Amino acid sequence: MKQTKAKPSSGRTLKHSGFLTAIFAIISLTWISPLLIVLLNSFKRKAYIFKNPFGISTASIFDGFEKWMAGISKTFVGFLNYSNAIKKTDFWHSFGYSLFITVGSVLLIVICCSMCAWFITRVQTWWTKLIYVFCLFSMVVPFQMVMFTLSKFANMLHLSNPVGILVVYLGFGAGLAVFMFCGFVKSIPVEIEEAAMIDGCNPLQAYFLVVFPIMKPTVITVAILDAMWVWNDYLLPSLVLNVNKYRTIPIAVQYLKQSHGQIDWGAMMAVLVLAILPIIIFYIAAQKYIIKGVAAGAVKG
Amino acid sequence: MATVTLKHIEKVYPNTGDKKKKHNLKVTDEGVVAVQDFNLDIADQEFIVLVGPSGCGKSTTLRMVAGLEDITRGELYIDGQLVNDVAPKDRDISMVFQNYALYPHMTVRQNMEFPLKLRKLPKEEIDKRVNHAAEILGITEYLNRKPKALSGGQRQRVAIGRAIVREPKVLLMDEPLSNLDAKLRNQMRAEILKLRKKINTTFIYVTHDQTEAMTLGDRIVIMKDGVIQQVGAPQEVYDNPVNIFVAGFIGVPQMNFYDGELKKDGSKYCVQVEDALIPLDESKNQHLLAQDIKPQEIVVGVRPEHISLENVPGRMIHGVADVSELMGASVHLHINAVGKDGIIIVPTLDLKQDAGFQPGQKIDFTFGGNVVHVFSKETGRNLEY
Ligand SMILES: Nc1ncnc2c1ncn2[C@@H]1O[C@H](COP(=O)(O)OP(=O)(O)OP(=O)(O)O)[C@@H](O)[C@H]1O
Ligand SMILES: [Mg+2]
Repeated sequence: MKQTKAKPSSGRTLKHSGFLTAIFAIISLTWISPLLIVLLNSFKRKAYIFKNPFGISTASIFDGFEKWMAGISKTFVGFLNYSNAIKKTDFWHSFGYSLFITVGSVLLIVICCSMCAWFITRVQTWWTKLIYVFCLFSMVVPFQMVMFTLSKFANMLHLSNPVGILVVYLGFGAGLAVFMFCGFVKSIPVEIEEAAMIDGCNPLQAYFLVVFPIMKPTVITVAILDAMWVWNDYLLPSLVLNVNKYRTIPIAVQYLKQSHGQIDWGAMMAVLVLAILPIIIFYIAAQKYIIKGVAAGAVKG
Repeated sequence: MATVTLKHIEKVYPNTGDKKKKHNLKVTDEGVVAVQDFNLDIADQEFIVLVGPSGCGKSTTLRMVAGLEDITRGELYIDGQLVNDVAPKDRDISMVFQNYALYPHMTVRQNMEFPLKLRKLPKEEIDKRVNHAAEILGITEYLNRKPKALSGGQRQRVAIGRAIVREPKVLLMDEPLSNLDAKLRNQMRAEILKLRKKINTTFIYVTHDQTEAMTLGDRIVIMKDGVIQQVGAPQEVYDNPVNIFVAGFIGVPQMNFYDGELKKDGSKYCVQVEDALIPLDESKNQHLLAQDIKPQEIVVGVRPEHISLENVPGRMIHGVADVSELMGASVHLHINAVGKDGIIIVPTLDLKQDAGFQPGQKIDFTFGGNVVHVFSKETGRNLEY
């Protein structure tokens, strides 16, 4: 980022920043090394993945360059693992379920929670305050504490399908989302809404034409946080969904491991890459909004 | 383009539980009475200014007219129609807020188009009105900017623009100038005066600044603690304040008040302050006679601009000069007399070349029987009315 660059005017900060850059480079490499190793291995032949997960050739480079190159081509199999993985996990179906559940629950959370936060911030009665307290409280309760009763309950209510699970995600995502939206709504001058009412809006128009667009930074922050959470979530869908019918990507990965006596590490690596890729692309595309959204939450604007 | 009638309007805020009483509002079992028995007939295209100190219920009254606040009791008519239960959007009014309340995600043009689009006007009509309003207010060049990129004065112009494109029956303004600096405020005040000549709308304008009230209003409504004190044209209110509060609130610098006594000699009234005896002029005398006012303890009010330093034997009040401020055309001389601090305005013309006032200097002054105001010491009421 531009702002964090040291000013070239002072020699000391320059030297310092070179040193820091080196440290941070090492840290971030360490940080993403697991990802890189997964990526590397996803292109390798099954047998070599386990033998030498870090190597790229069957031969050592000291045996001569020719041999080493031959070893490399023996190690790598191109996209074979990927096509295997897609076939074995029924990947596109899983991808569809994951996409549907993620997009659906994010939309649901954003719309319902922003409306709810708007209402309970603007209408101050004992029961709106109570709702707010419940939302805060739900953030404190650990998921593990409620997960078994929840899955039982979800079954009873016939929520064990991709549409039903949206409701469950809404419930779990509501606490943080309402909290964040409330903080933002408090910073919007109420006169703006009054002006909208006078200008001819009914409450729904005031919300969708005026309040919601103003909340955009928080909407994006909440959407990103929840998208990453829902996309990567394993435990909740495995508890709630009927896993014989509906497998999201994390569950499909898990089943890849269980379905055969011996694990197909090549397919495993490939499907992991496929699982991570969309969310990384999404994150990079939305990154600038995250920073903006956090800043907007901090400084009233 | 409409009359507004307020009949016995009252606003009661239910008790919120906190017993700290930091205001002088009446408190009943129901709660805090923010506006009491408000009666006013506003004529078509009149410019009404509500003025009063902070917390006196001006905004509350305005918001009840706008429909943003429920009316606890009483009836509100706009254009002859009872609108107590009509939603703000259906009252055909528009409002300008102190903090502009522009839609931050829209450009200036979109802000001004917004009310028209909601009313589904044809595109050409919208463009015509927006361009016209922008021209009147001199904001044409900013039409494509977001409000964030405008100065306070420009933002307030946009807010006014958004309010006038609708051509509302009534235009409400709640302290629209108080976020601006002094110079800009004067400038915008002049522009509101001009604007009002260009559009035919009834105005209700709230301010706590008496200068704004005096210069803008056809009639001004002076409020205190939720109660109307006086309604009248600026000159009328200035000349004939009904009580001490109005007398002190209207006019800068403030009116001077001295304790005195009302004397009656046959059918002639005169006021006595210390040993100065000042006979009232004929019309004031008549007013008092008509009501058969008894001689009594009074508070004498004189405006600083009505005090003279001319020596009239037997009518002089003795004071001691404090600081003096040169204002250009005149000098504001702070003076302590009859145990009270006061101000005298001395036109620079009257001053001899280097007759600057020294602090501590003895000053004798007087005033005419035609400019003095006589207030009851007990009730604060102007005894003439
Ligand atoms: N929601 C409320 N609940 C209780 N009391 C209120 C509420 N809103 C306003 N008041 C009280 O009503 C009184 C009138 O308020 P109002 O806003 O009309 O004053 P104002 O004349 O506009 O003052 P200012 O010049 O400061 O804007 C105040 O004393 C205030 O404390
Ligand atoms: Mg106010």
